[in-house]
Amino acid sequence: MNIFFWGVLLLFAGGIFALVFADKYKTKIITLFSAISAILCSIPAVNVLCNNEILTQTFEFNDIFGSIKFGIDPLSAFFILVISIMSLASVIYSNGYLKGYIEKGSAVSSHLLFLPMLIASMLLVVTCKNALMFLICWEIMSLSSFFLVIFEREKKDILKAGIKYLVFMHISVIFIILAFAFMSIQAGSFDFDSFKEILENNQLTANIAFLLAFVGFGTKAGFVPFHNWLPDAHPAAPSHVSAIMSGVMIKTGIYGILRMLSLIDMPSLMISYTVLVISVISALYGVLYAITQHDLKRLLAYHSIENIGIIGIGIGTGMLATAYGHPYVALLGYAGGILHILNHSIFKELLFMSAGSVYTQTHTRNIEILGGLIKSMPYSAILFLIGSVAICGLPPFNGFISEFLIYFGMLNGVTINNFFAFITFMFAIAGLALVGTMAILCFTKAFSIIFLGMPRSEQAQNVKQDVSKSMIIPMGFLAILTLVIGLLPQYVFKLLENPVAVITRTPLELSESTIAIMQQISVIMSAFLIFVIVLIGLKIILTKGKIQMHETWGCGYDRLNNHIQYTASSYASPFLSMLRPLFKKVFDIEKPRKLFPKSAHFSLHIEDIEEEYVIHPLVKFDEWFLSKFEKMQSGNIQTYIKYGLIFLVIIIAGCLLIK
Amino acid sequence: MLMKLLNLIILLFVPFLMMGVIKKTKAFWAGRKGVSLFQPLYDFIRLMKKDFVISRTTSFVFKTAPVVAISSVLAASLFVPMASGSALINIEAGFVIFAYILGLGKFFALISAMDTGSSFEGMGASREACFTTIVEPAFFMIIASIMALTGNFTFTSLKGILENAGSYGILITIFAVAALFLMILIEGSRVPVDDPTTHLELTMIHEVMILDNSGSDLALLTWGNSIKMLLISSLIANILIPAHFSALASTALYLFIIFAISVIIGTVESGMARIRMSHVFEFVFIMSSFALVVLSLVVARMFGG
Repeated sequence: MNIFFWGVLLLFAGGIFALVFADKYKTKIITLFSAISAILCSIPAVNVLCNNEILTQTFEFNDIFGSIKFGIDPLSAFFILVISIMSLASVIYSNGYLKGYIEKGSAVSSHLLFLPMLIASMLLVVTCKNALMFLICWEIMSLSSFFLVIFEREKKDILKAGIKYLVFMHISVIFIILAFAFMSIQAGSFDFDSFKEILENNQLTANIAFLLAFVGFGTKAGFVPFHNWLPDAHPAAPSHVSAIMSGVMIKTGIYGILRMLSLIDMPSLMISYTVLVISVISALYGVLYAITQHDLKRLLAYHSIENIGIIGIGIGTGMLATAYGHPYVALLGYAGGILHILNHSIFKELLFMSAGSVYTQTHTRNIEILGGLIKSMPYSAILFLIGSVAICGLPPFNGFISEFLIYFGMLNGVTINNFFAFITFMFAIAGLALVGTMAILCFTKAFSIIFLGMPRSEQAQNVKQDVSKSMIIPMGFLAILTLVIGLLPQYVFKLLENPVAVITRTPLELSESTIAIMQQISVIMSAFLIFVIVLIGLKIILTKGKIQMHETWGCGYDRLNNHIQYTASSYASPFLSMLRPLFKKVFDIEKPRKLFPKSAHFSLHIEDIEEEYVIHPLVKFDEWFLSKFEKMQSGNIQTYIKYGLIFLVIIIAGCLLIK
Repeated sequence: MLMKLLNLIILLFVPFLMMGVIKKTKAFWAGRKGVSLFQPLYDFIRLMKKDFVISRTTSFVFKTAPVVAISSVLAASLFVPMASGSALINIEAGFVIFAYILGLGKFFALISAMDTGSSFEGMGASREACFTTIVEPAFFMIIASIMALTGNFTFTSLKGILENAGSYGILITIFAVAALFLMILIEGSRVPVDDPTTHLELTMIHEVMILDNSGSDLALLTWGNSIKMLLISSLIANILIPAHFSALASTALYLFIIFAISVIIGTVESGMARIRMSHVFEFVFIMSSFALVVLSLVVARMFGG
């Protein structure tokens, strides 16, 4: 356990140490420190995960905090591994990504102070066993990520997105505080273990506490309807930060939910159904809005909502099966959900990084004006392709394994033999299939509009070379990881038993048949991959010299240009036209006028209905309500002192009365 | 083992014969003599020998996609029970692997179409992707409900409906078969969803996606498409063949059903025109509604007292 704290301390130290150096060396120092810290933190985590032990350490503080417990159980260990490895990848990536900014003279000092701080605070969040300390770490995490989001704060919309993020994170933390306060009042202590007894004895308390915590942690994770900050914050942040935030940080919300579940003896039916239904809706909502987006990073942000939904479907399946007393189904559901946490953080980081590469070379996130980049940026293109195939859950990559586990869990869920459970599982299966196919639509769109065809603008035309090696290498590493997990699922699967046992509290062994299925998948997928590679090789050899180059077939018209190509909007249009009522279309049209029209344009922008019909009215109401208090702010210092005085009198009087 | 070998032989030759039978049926209804039953096979061999003409806009995606597409269809076929009633690989939840591997092939087919930068191919790709989103959930729902009913999560469970579901069995069979038949028309791009023989690029779906493919690429893609039709037909055949039939009888019945389906497809194509593009979606949704019917029948059977 000590090694772990040294690792966390090194991260904080690295951030401060780097302040001393010149800007060009800062990223290198941060990389060095986080590499060492990643190794230090992983050692105890791997130990715990493999040997199924629990490490704890208690710090004695003064009277205010009392004793504070930290601990690594298999669930925490799993998250420590995800956090340290994935964060390291994006810190390495930031070397190349920030280079351009540093050369331009942007201020990176504070940014590089907060980057390791975010990683360290996440590590502390997943190990802390004390509610108060948890909230402090949680707040450090939210604030440091806020400062990372507003890296380019001179741009107005980025600052606006950052503030929105800050507001949402504080709404989230209010609910978490409520949940913890609710439990600690009854338990008389801030210790998680003392919460356990309270929650075990009283079903109603457990329900209320879980629902409050679910809203709080769900806002962090991005469940619909608390997702609204995600699509604004991710595009605003620089790519390596988006990668950490989407790949790792939102998973701390999932960690919070899983930790709550580990405290509750058995989730009630009502809650289990709620989680499952919200997850299915989140997945569908996320992918639907992803299809409507033309901003690459917004698109990826909506996919985070989708994947959080898929993780939630796994967790919901596990909860439902636990509530009905089917531990084996619960194991499959939880294992699928937890594996998807790892998988999503791998391929989402990969995708955000390749989106960042596209951004560094073209300076735009609008996919409508890109195209043909596969010729100038072949490595980024292949890596983006791997990420896309993986995120769609297609074999032989890792996304398939976790989705398969969730499907398998839900299929086995029919043995519960309950009408509502059956219907829910059947619709969840169909929903997951729908999400998968919609993801295919979305990523074929994104990949082909960005990388294939002809360049649609000067910006895309002018790209001459791929990004630097320091950006390609971490992406390549992640791409290999997606393939390794996809090809060797049986070994990864074995590692999931212990974290799941923390949640279900009953150690479960995977049955031989499930392991056998995983082994078969492994063999089939490896054979499939080899078959494809051999076939491609054969094709290259056999068709040598038999290829003639010509123009694309254009119905006999051979002066094709880049404007004739299909665009992202037109690609998505047949699908979106089916689901018209689900979003708001905003048109921007300038019609051609007069006999010889000089200019005309048409653009279509799609708004989130939640933004339009829930958030906006709420903000409007807030503005109206708060404007009633405008008079209080007189700008007169004497008045403010008066307010302070009145406040103090009330507090003192209150204290005296209570005593 | 012998029966499994038979699966491979069926996989190699029957898709071409299916296409031949469809062509022959259409010729019959048109009052023509028609081409030989083996013409699709001859076409395949001829195309395999040809050189390529490739667009300058394309990248390596365009060259590798046909290979990935055909490999994925072949891999998916390992999971489908054919004449022998059992698949080469018979594992639980195999239908998920089946559908997702086909999805991989579709992914590459879509991006290869977009690789040419042609607006026609983009059009076809976008329509194809859109239909998939409707077809796939319905397919999952049908298969999952049937598996829940029989309590067996492999494709073999398809065989048990008539025996296990009592009086509901007939209804479930009818709707499941009808839905899967619609799936053949949609996935195989046949009339009334798509017209494989049309010559107007604007109205095509699958054909327009492979406009720029030539030589062996085109051959592989066409073969892949007909294998896909065979696979879904095999699922129908497995629902219809009674479980107690002997190996020989079920093989004979299997082949009969496959060719009967081809004849029906040919007849449908001769008898009706392609639906207007804006109405195709409504047609595709019929499959979803059939899937819901199958689900509700299964629910009625399992929980309906």
